[in-house]
Amino acid sequence: MDVSEVLEGEKVLNLSRLNLDNLDLDHVGEERKRDTQQLFLVYNRFIVLPGSICHFSNLVFLDISCNRLAFICEEILRLSKLKTLVAKNNRLNEFSLPKDFGTMSLEVLNFSGNRFEEFPSEFLNLQRLQSLSLGGNRLKSIPTEIEQLTSLELLYLGGNSITSIPTELANLPYLSYLVLCDNRIQSIPPQLAQMNSLLSLSLHNNLLTYLPREILSLFQLQELSLRGNPLVVRFVKDMTYDPPSLLELAGRTVKSRNLPYKPEDLPGNLIRYLDLASKCPNPKCGGVYFDSCVRHIKFVDFCGKYRLPLMHYLCSPECSSPCSSNPQSDADSEDESSVPAHRMQKVLLG
Amino acid sequence: MEQTEVMKPETLNDLIKVLHQIFSSDTVNVEEVQNLMESYESKPEEWMEYAQFDKFRYTRNLVDEGNGKFNLMILCWGEGHGSSIHDHTDSHCFMKLLQGQLKETLFEWPDHKINGGMTKKSERVLQENQCAYIHDSIGLHRVENVSHTEPAVSLHLYSPQFDQCNTFDQRTGHRNTVKMTFWSKYGERTPFTYYCGKHIVKVALCVQ
Repeated sequence: MDVSEVLEGEKVLNLSRLNLDNLDLDHVGEERKRDTQQLFLVYNRFIVLPGSICHFSNLVFLDISCNRLAFICEEILRLSKLKTLVAKNNRLNEFSLPKDFGTMSLEVLNFSGNRFEEFPSEFLNLQRLQSLSLGGNRLKSIPTEIEQLTSLELLYLGGNSITSIPTELANLPYLSYLVLCDNRIQSIPPQLAQMNSLLSLSLHNNLLTYLPREILSLFQLQELSLRGNPLVVRFVKDMTYDPPSLLELAGRTVKSRNLPYKPEDLPGNLIRYLDLASKCPNPKCGGVYFDSCVRHIKFVDFCGKYRLPLMHYLCSPECSSPCSSNPQSDADSEDESSVPAHRMQKVLLG
Repeated sequence: MEQTEVMKPETLNDLIKVLHQIFSSDTVNVEEVQNLMESYESKPEEWMEYAQFDKFRYTRNLVDEGNGKFNLMILCWGEGHGSSIHDHTDSHCFMKLLQGQLKETLFEWPDHKINGGMTKKSERVLQENQCAYIHDSIGLHRVENVSHTEPAVSLHLYSPQFDQCNTFDQRTGHRNTVKMTFWSKYGERTPFTYYCGKHIVKVALCVQ
């Protein structure tokens, strides 16, 4: 990613590659301390973010990447105008941040190449945060509280050990660039399909065998990378099917025959159960299912170019797509799913 | 084939001058061009104006049109950005790292008699200032910035120049022809939109 524009003259102070392990500002004039908006401390030997940093009262941009930072001092909180903090390639983890870090008005945070094993809770209060990178750390999960970062537009979490995606991620209203490549993700929650703001989704090098069919409704999506996933290649039908319970059969009958009922007619738990009915996605089938369904993987042409295995549920093994595949072919045709070419411009499959 | 005696190009402009000289003849000595490009030591201040990055994907930024004999361009790869597997429309292709590292994975041309995925030949990570060469007779490749912390910048020379190529699905060998565009030309941003029937189609298929 490119650095925000470098300002001329007195507003930029570049103290990179000077073998510094402390920040002695005695030789820096008061005016310079006041005027400096961008400070570079890249490639030095800092173990702690120096407290003297707070003297740069108007600092907007700070880059302290490629040091040995294990701890960020409390004095950073006094940088009330700081918008961008870059601290790549250091030794920071979730215990390195001052307690009230979440009160800062940061917009861009780049902590890639550090040692975070958990998402630092202090990040979750940064209401103004637009861009967050924690690439190349040791994260195992994404907290559900991620939805608190309501201003987030860019989230880079590539190169971690993340195994699943919380559905709450879909609640971020402005997220346009989501990078989850090089992780251990096995499935994508269908709720991600609600993210109308998403323009680019990077999922390459994970453990995906299929995608939820809802992903077809991501009309704004321009980029989708899926290479390096063990995507199912041939038509697969999951033949393990637990027969429906009596409760489910009764529920299906009520729903598919539109039998009228009022809240007074049934106990509350049955009313709630009936509300859970899912419609069978086969357009020729009027059936519904509750818990008992067949997991079925269909192949869909994305903009007529590639075939992707998309998963959906059918009410029973007998319920199949109207155009049944001949066993020789490796795909079913999907009549309701033709996505116009201009909607998905590039699917980097392989 | 004749090998011209050349001094090591000190600046990017020197390199471009020598390339013009070399390509004024009709034959290309691949080794000579590769050595020449490798010998230029990258200085960011000389190419910074062409290094325009995009958030979502890598960009192609035209530097010089080589008197019609070649195209010289700078590609900018954000963290995690990569290309599809692609061919080079029978042209010579040189790729030199100006900053960061790029992983190049070579593939055999797909063989439709063999069912299944495309065959990977080899992979390597190119270091700063190294220059790689590829041609359709060697095979196909995918280029990626696999770093999650560092962007990468590469200098590419294509001769003759071409504006379309094929991309390949690794799982099936299925190919697709794509048109290539420039993010910027001579340092100026050049968004490219055209009308296709009733729809405005933004052609942003930046394939190498």
